[in-house]
Amino acid sequence: MTKLTKSLKLSLVAAGLFSATASAASVAIVNATLHTSTEQGVLEGASVVIEDGKIVAINPATVNADATIDAKGQIVTAGFIGTMNQLGLVEVGAVAGSRDGGDDKAGIDFDPSLAFNPRSSLIPYARKGGITQDVIVPNGGDSIFAGLASVVDLSGSFESVNKKQVALVVHLGEKSKGSRAMSMKTLIDKLEGEKSAKKDDKKEPSTEQKVLAAVLAGDMPLIASVQRASDIYELVKLKESYGINLVIHGGDDAVVVADTLAKVDVPVIISSMANLPGSFDSMHANLANAGKLEKAGVKVIIGVAGDSSHNVYQLRFDAGNAVSYGMSQQGALSAVTSNIADVFGLNSGAIAKGKRANLVMWSADPFELNSHVSKMWINGEEVSTEARQDKLRDRYTTDSAMPRAYTK
Amino acid sequence: MQKFAPSLLVMALGVALAGCQDNGPQDPKVSINKNPYPSTYQPLASQSTLITNATVLTGTGERLDDADVFFVDGKVQQVGKDLSVQADKTIDAQGKWVTPGIIDVHSHLGAYPTPSVASHQDGNEMTSPVTAEVWVEHSVWPQDPGFNRAREGGITSLQILPGSANLIGGRGVTLKNIPSHTMQGMKFPEAPYGLKMACGENPKRVYGRKGVLPSTRMGNMAGYRTAWIEATEYKREWDKYESDYAAGKNPAAPHRDIKLDTLAGVLEGDILIHNHCYKAEEMAMMIDLGKEFGYHSGTFHHGVEAYKIADLLAENGNCAALWPDWWGFKMEAYDMVQENVAIVDAVKNSCAVVHSDSDTTIQRLNQEAGKVMYRANDVGYDISEQHAIKWITSNAAKSLGIDDKTGSLEAGKQADVVIWNQNPFSVYAKAEQVFIDGAKVYDRNDDKYQAQSDFMLGQK
Repeated sequence: MTKLTKSLKLSLVAAGLFSATASAASVAIVNATLHTSTEQGVLEGASVVIEDGKIVAINPATVNADATIDAKGQIVTAGFIGTMNQLGLVEVGAVAGSRDGGDDKAGIDFDPSLAFNPRSSLIPYARKGGITQDVIVPNGGDSIFAGLASVVDLSGSFESVNKKQVALVVHLGEKSKGSRAMSMKTLIDKLEGEKSAKKDDKKEPSTEQKVLAAVLAGDMPLIASVQRASDIYELVKLKESYGINLVIHGGDDAVVVADTLAKVDVPVIISSMANLPGSFDSMHANLANAGKLEKAGVKVIIGVAGDSSHNVYQLRFDAGNAVSYGMSQQGALSAVTSNIADVFGLNSGAIAKGKRANLVMWSADPFELNSHVSKMWINGEEVSTEARQDKLRDRYTTDSAMPRAYTK
Repeated sequence: MQKFAPSLLVMALGVALAGCQDNGPQDPKVSINKNPYPSTYQPLASQSTLITNATVLTGTGERLDDADVFFVDGKVQQVGKDLSVQADKTIDAQGKWVTPGIIDVHSHLGAYPTPSVASHQDGNEMTSPVTAEVWVEHSVWPQDPGFNRAREGGITSLQILPGSANLIGGRGVTLKNIPSHTMQGMKFPEAPYGLKMACGENPKRVYGRKGVLPSTRMGNMAGYRTAWIEATEYKREWDKYESDYAAGKNPAAPHRDIKLDTLAGVLEGDILIHNHCYKAEEMAMMIDLGKEFGYHSGTFHHGVEAYKIADLLAENGNCAALWPDWWGFKMEAYDMVQENVAIVDAVKNSCAVVHSDSDTTIQRLNQEAGKVMYRANDVGYDISEQHAIKWITSNAAKSLGIDDKTGSLEAGKQADVVIWNQNPFSVYAKAEQVFIDGAKVYDRNDDKYQAQSDFMLGQK
């Protein structure tokens, strides 16, 4: 573990202030069971070569690399990708000063990635779950518009924001006060306002205008956090009239309109563990929903519900439970890798030539409780899974004549 | 005679004496009904059942391969290989695993049910820091769909607790996880009551905001101590009433106080403490607090830092009911380690329990325990399935004071039993059949045994 920590530190130094490129040394992982998250499926006894932060070859005729790692048959997957949390934007939920995910005044132009802290203690812990990238989102203020999502990697580097402003997040559905119709009206008014705005070529458009224009052009996904089937149906109509790239987040009752969502190609970011009627919007929450949506042809992304910033490491278990309740193994893997890359336009989430070398080697089935990360790479660099938690455990389980405070 | 005519003062004194010290004819004895909302639970109809060829985890630390479990009249009768018994019903459990019914010591089902609408927020009486007078059973909505989901995860018994806003939040209640339309119909017969206490951030935040004590951790301690002093005096009054009455006197009964009834019940050892307490230094003080007032400090719930005082907990006979991995939502939950349960468990005479405090993870306590087992084994522990199952069965039963009734597959115990499709410590494990007191209450493959709440009936 210590060795890995050192290599991580070295890689940070090597990366330098403005250079995000990884070291040039190539690494070949041989004798692996590659779960590719592509149409190639699972490749037994396979090899993958990484160089300059990218996957450069799969099963080359001859393996030629600076270093070779024998996977001894272990499963290697693309790094898992968390979604819809505030990783790097919060340290302790109840400590206001450590929270940067939301703001009362947040709106369409709010971009919390400006506050992303790659040195957060949550990041090494999340790596334990094989998480290599994450879609961080603002968690909302007074407006229905929470703001802009970004994609980060979990390298710990100051250059770990991979892609800024990948989606606009809007909160719809039930409200503690007032009508959900007013939220929909606000959304429609914004879209309509931008669509019919007279373009002044001399004036630089505001961030809000640029975001809305990108949403209307279908270039920037609109993530709508919403549960109820009728609300989702209403949003599908909105998609049809404005040509927006709609993504449903939550979707406890999405299964009711699964065929519609499949037909109009709307992905759903769902918690595979939701199965209680948290409100009247969620009467169809069920452990079988991820699998049912998959079967209907919906592109499914599995996200961890609740405090997913601290608990994103358990994404793999949520995927396992989805499989247990009817999702295909391949589908569940895609739901934590390639589907996210597809929706947010990332060059990752799959083991394929040219993809970002975010890879995880697993001691056993990655969705099982008994497996752990054997090794993992982010941008081609091997990273450690050692976290503050491990230090605490070691301190209190190591015999010492001195007070625990001296055990470091 | 004039000389002996009593003065008004003496007359008044005489009346007073007649009220409390009179040796004359006794007034009817005042006694407190300790069980005014009694259980009406009746086991469902059952037949003698033989489960054969299963991998059996008994809950006592044993694993039996290719073994049989036989229960009759709601009680476990025999567990072993190749039992030669006559059963009404035989279930071939080849390839399957059998465990005792799973017990969750920390749930808010029914008190914070789903749908979690404002009308359903019945778990925290946030109007005073000490509300020992409230009983959470009076908040339980038996139609909470969460009870059914929990049963599908193998939960056969559970303790419902008030929330943690208050220093002393009120009585908890232990239920059999049986569908009923009354709380009494679920109430676990003869289970002791629990008393919910809470350390740390929650009480001081809730009351600090209102500008009343406690607004600090020292205020928390002052609040508990004040309450236990009142309870001690109250108990002394009743003890005196009892002994005077027993001595043939005619004492006046003390004024009854339902808040102090509950606290005195703790001092008498009838009611068990269940204390929401995350931090090592606070748990250490709560142990001393119990000693100061002569009660046992009970089970520490959440105990994110229990691993720092594992030896202290075992020495003092405290159970620790813990999560495998919740952390970071508050300062007091920042020092989580994934091996917490295992470290607490490794000490001799320990009582480690895995709990949920959640309407979702209560459905997968087997997986929650599995996470602990595998993470600990990753760093050199050697924890077996037959041992880990104790965290969610027999140790949980011990924490609730029902270990003489349930929590293990031993002859004479209540036949609370789960048949799993495979090793329960797998992400792919599912409870297939669940029995409570020998009666089948859930069958994954038979809709007839899948209960549905009134609330869910007929929803589109």
